[in-house]
Amino acid sequence: MSQGVFLFAQNNHTIDYIKQSIFCAKKIKKHLGLPVALATDNVEYLEKHFPFYKKYIDHVIPLEWKECKQIKTFFDGSMSKRELEWRNHERPEVYNLTPFDETLVMDTDFIIGNDILKNAFGTSEEFLIFRDIKDLNYDRPGINIFDYVSDKSVDMYWATVFYFKKTPSMKLFFDLIAHIKDNWKFYRIIHQIPTIKFRNDFAFSIAIHMLNGHQRTSWPKSLPGNLWFTTDSDILIKTEDEKYTFLLGKKDWVGHYTLSSIKEANIHIMNKFSLDRAIDEVLSDE
Amino acid sequence: MNRGFCLLAQNNKDTNYIRQAYALALSLHKYNTGQRISLITNDIVPKEWQSVFDQIIPIPWTDSAEDSDWKIENRWKVYHASPYDETIVLEADMLITQDITHWWDELSKHDLFFVSNVKTYRNETVDSRFYRKTFDANNLPNLYSALHYFKKGNTAKEFYILLEIIVNNWELFYTRYAKEEYQKWCSIDVCAAIASKILGNEKEITNPNSFITFTHMKTRLQKWKNIPNNWTSVLGQYFRDDGTLLLGNYVQTNVLHYVEDNFLKDSVIEKLK
Repeated sequence: MSQGVFLFAQNNHTIDYIKQSIFCAKKIKKHLGLPVALATDNVEYLEKHFPFYKKYIDHVIPLEWKECKQIKTFFDGSMSKRELEWRNHERPEVYNLTPFDETLVMDTDFIIGNDILKNAFGTSEEFLIFRDIKDLNYDRPGINIFDYVSDKSVDMYWATVFYFKKTPSMKLFFDLIAHIKDNWKFYRIIHQIPTIKFRNDFAFSIAIHMLNGHQRTSWPKSLPGNLWFTTDSDILIKTEDEKYTFLLGKKDWVGHYTLSSIKEANIHIMNKFSLDRAIDEVLSDE
Repeated sequence: MNRGFCLLAQNNKDTNYIRQAYALALSLHKYNTGQRISLITNDIVPKEWQSVFDQIIPIPWTDSAEDSDWKIENRWKVYHASPYDETIVLEADMLITQDITHWWDELSKHDLFFVSNVKTYRNETVDSRFYRKTFDANNLPNLYSALHYFKKGNTAKEFYILLEIIVNNWELFYTRYAKEEYQKWCSIDVCAAIASKILGNEKEITNPNSFITFTHMKTRLQKWKNIPNNWTSVLGQYFRDDGTLLLGNYVQTNVLHYVEDNFLKDSVIEKLK
């Protein structure tokens, strides 16, 4: 059974997801020692700007470039924001795209800091995903943590990182996610989701609920370890090997921050701009 | 030992509880074969509704709730009116959504059993204490009388005789056993909890880990951040052709205590027929 990690990188005019994927893959190689597949709609950019990419990326899977009309607000700390394209529609295709029998899929802004996710492979489980997440900022309990897709709707799961085996039931699962994506207007109304934007976390959560027969069950199980996160109101200011130092936005105090660090953790860094700045330093010696 | 369900229903000026009891009986028959259901009431039951009931029994003695809106003053009479050796008592504003006939085997291990944990429509265990402040403040057993069981015998009889005394003198008993977070109305749950506390039988008559439970649709129990006045105004209600009931995208598999009468539309009753 082949095993590997799968990343998607589709740049917009400002955020360089391809650069993030190189950094992400570098950490994967260091901690998990697994082959990495990258699906991108700009292979030319990858080859031109990151000629060393083959050190970290084992498979490049070209995606067709498609016009994107979905706009999302991206914050860089609590005082700065931009409206940018948000290309997140390809994730249901991972079942067909992955070259591996067992695949760990992750966002490029999910940074590996230890080897605990290696334990996702080789179990009898077909699918593992986080339901619970941990905010690095204990000063704002409850903020940006969704227990449910919406106040009255189903349990929230996080598509930031998940594991799956290529099996008929997982094909059904990804086909269902594609169906939800194609009929997003319907599903977001049924689930009372205020935003019109398609979000993979929501589609995955709804698909899990549907495959559970519209009930709570013990499926799916959680990935091993914790899913730490910082929001895009927080700012990554320093990286030292496996130690990440942040300014964490204070609740109800816009523009005020708390200095905090985390070491050897798997962490989702949602502020793409500050991550980009940090990566520049790390990749400068490549 | 004959077994059956007893529903006590009395209409008031706002709510047709006989109609609710009829719908509950329909739902019981739909998912549970061969069950006996008795309706205890002094109200007129329309002829076309009577066939779902095994017996229609007048409220014993006088109607103690004649001048009351909430009409709980007669609840203690269920023990005396029930024609069964073993009885499950259900409040009228409930629906059955599955086969619960296996409950009898579990309940028959007890002389008396009350539910003490309830569920949200998502099948989460309710942890809100919003409606239970007087229980916590006075260290009363967390009993829900909306679904309970008794076996005729000395244990249950002793409990119901004490319950009668408490209901008829509730202010006196509240002053002694429920003076903190004092409720200015007679609640059958509080009265039952006081009876249990006096008899010291909480461990025998309830188990918070029991699978015997129900879904309680009071809005503040649902783990919502935005609390509406009525759950029926914010949750979709779907009855599939196969009889499955969904509330807000969740299939309902517990006994549903829907609380709000406007949930029980004629179309729901048609589906249950």
